[in-house]
This record gives sequence, structure tokens and C-alpha cells, in this order.
Amino acid sequence: MWRTTLLSMLMVLGGWASARWLTYDFQVWTDEGARRLEVALRPVKAPAVAVQGLEVSAQDLSTLLATGSGVTVVDFFYTHCQSVCLSLGSSFQQLQAALQADRAKGSAVPVRLLSISFDGTRDDPATLATYARGLHADPTLWNFIRVPDAAQQALLLQRLGIVVVPDGRGDYEHNAALLVFDAQGRMVRIFDLAEQQLALDYARNLAGKLQ
Amino acid sequence: MAGLLLTAVLASPWPRQWLEASMWRHMLLQFPLWMLAGALLCAVLPTRARSIISIWNSHGIAGLIWVGMVLSVLMVPRVLDLVLRDMAVEAVKCTALLLAGTLLRLSWGPAGLVLQCFFLGMLLPMMVVVGQLYIDSPLRLCNAYLLDDQERLGRWLIALAALLATTWLAHAAWLLVRRDEGAQLGKL
Repeated sequence: MWRTTLLSMLMVLGGWASARWLTYDFQVWTDEGARRLEVALRPVKAPAVAVQGLEVSAQDLSTLLATGSGVTVVDFFYTHCQSVCLSLGSSFQQLQAALQADRAKGSAVPVRLLSISFDGTRDDPATLATYARGLHADPTLWNFIRVPDAAQQALLLQRLGIVVVPDGRGDYEHNAALLVFDAQGRMVRIFDLAEQQLALDYARNLAGKLQ
Repeated sequence: MAGLLLTAVLASPWPRQWLEASMWRHMLLQFPLWMLAGALLCAVLPTRARSIISIWNSHGIAGLIWVGMVLSVLMVPRVLDLVLRDMAVEAVKCTALLLAGTLLRLSWGPAGLVLQCFFLGMLLPMMVVVGQLYIDSPLRLCNAYLLDDQERLGRWLIALAALLATTWLAHAAWLLVRRDEGAQLGKL
């Protein structure tokens, strides 16, 4: 009986240890939670994939993120989205308004906004431009791009932990969030859509420290 | 033989992808199938191995603890996403389920009604709670699966728990009644 007891206790300890590993000490229960926690602990460098946009001269993502040596708040979207991307769009409009107010007050810090479409087939630069105009995007603050090469886009999504699931009706579900990148092109924080003000304050703070 | 065949099928890319393409199929079809493969493979275990196992598995306690631990950990939503990305974790998951199937088959008999009841009393309520969480959650708990998939999984988890509970209760009742009758006959 003592052998069984010993083995049972070892198994319980083992189960506890694996549960701790899986959930980062019982802090996260979902992969999305894990992704956000991991990024805060270890920033992820964006791969230098070629990007394309109307107000943006064709260059790669790392160069784009380094422009102005500031902080960039990024989101992934697609123009045909009828759900979460719409609220993302209005979040970004509010962020833009806050940044424009900063500029008017003279207390501007180098924070920019970048919206990346993962629906390369339907979202060509012209479509992106129309969409941007619809949102009253200021090109000096907020750019829209896509990654024209499918393989490079897959690499970008995989590296940043973006998972896109087709919902069988021509639309996509994806783990939308506010991603904050520093001037070295590293994703340093992920904020939930509901944490818009937090993301803005974090970006401003980070940009302020760079000056 | 059947066990080896089933294991080979489950491990090959096409069936695996089909099973893991949907959240409810991943948890409620793939997981039990791996356990079934383990239970079938149990037949190839030589007698010596079985006796060694039973020394370390008195009353099936250690075996049931393994099964309980594995199923509890695998109900965490993160696992379903992680195994799609990381092959090492997928291998560990499948091996753990295989072993769980084998140990469940070896431990069920020796456990007796009381220990079986304890085991199910831990596992089934957990399935119901997790199922209800999957149904109620307004957010997608897994990046790779859709919300209606998640809700369907929740409903089926609760249904499965109810089915297992009723089956076991009926079986236990029948066993106890038979024992009573045997005892009555013995007294005559």
C-alpha cells in the first residue's frame, strides 16, 4: 500500500507542477492570456516583412516602426469586418483624437498608430485608402498597410501570435488587441480592446522615456 | 492489434487535423479515442508487467489518480490552442491520454464501487462546471476556435457527464441488488 501511496503523491505533485507550468502559476487559463503575459516578460521582435500602403513608401515593417523613433500602437483588422474591427476602428479614432490634442497643446510625444490588414486578397492599397478616409485617419499619425506576400504575412501573424479563424461565412474571427511596439520594432505590450486608455498612457509614457 | 491500429490512425496527419479542426471534436472525440486506444493496447501487456503495475496500483488508486490528473489538466482551455502550435506538447498530451486509457482499464475493477464513486464524484462535477463555463463565457477562450463551437462543447460536456453518471449509478444499483440477493440466498 505504501508504494501506491508514494506513487499517488508523486502523481499529484506532477499534475500540480504541470498545471503551474501550463497556467504560468495559475495566472492564465487561455493561450491569449499566456501570449499577453509572455510578451510583457519577453518582447517579440517583428519580422522585417515587406509592407504596402498608400501614404507609406514600400518598405519593410521594421523600418516603418522605427520611423520617428517613437512608439507605435498597432492593430490587425480587415476592411470587410462587421464586428470587432469596427470597435477597433473607433478605439483608434479616439486614440488619434487624444494624440492630436497632445500636439495642439504642444506636449506631443512620438506615438503613432498603425492598422495592418491580414486580408491581403481583398484589401489592396486603394481599398485601404478608402477605409482610412472613412475613419478620418490623419496620415501623419495613423497609417494603414497590408503585407502583400502571403508567406511573409503568415510569418508575421505566427511570430506575433495572431490567430485568424475563418468563420465559414466569409468573415474572420481573430484575437484582436492593441499591440504596442517600441522604436526597435519590438512588441512590448498587448492591451485588451477594453484597455484603450491604459494602452495610450503606456505608449505616451514609453515614448516620453525615449526622448 | 486493434489498439495499435487505432493509435496509428489517431497519430496520422489527416484524422488528427479533422479531429482538431473543431473544439468539441478535439475534446470530446479525440481525447476519448486516445484513451480507447490505450485501453485496447492494454491487452498486449504481459502478465509480469500487469503484476508489477498492480503492486504499485493497489485498489487502482494510483491509476485513477493519473486519469483524474490528466483529464483535469487537459480541460484547461490553453491546452487546445497550445497543442495546435507545439508538437512536443501534442506528443505529451497523446501519450498521457494513451496511458490514462490503459490505467483506467486496469484500475476500474480493483477499485470497487466506493473508489469508483469517489473518482466519478471528482471528475463529473468538474466536467459540468467546465462545461457551464464554456457555455457562459462571452469571450472565445481559445484563439483557434469559434464561439458557437465553444458553446457546443460546453453542452456536450455536461451531457456526457450526465450520461456517465446515470450509466454508473444504474450499474452500481444493479450490482448492489445482485449482492443483496446473493446474501439472501446464502442465508437460506
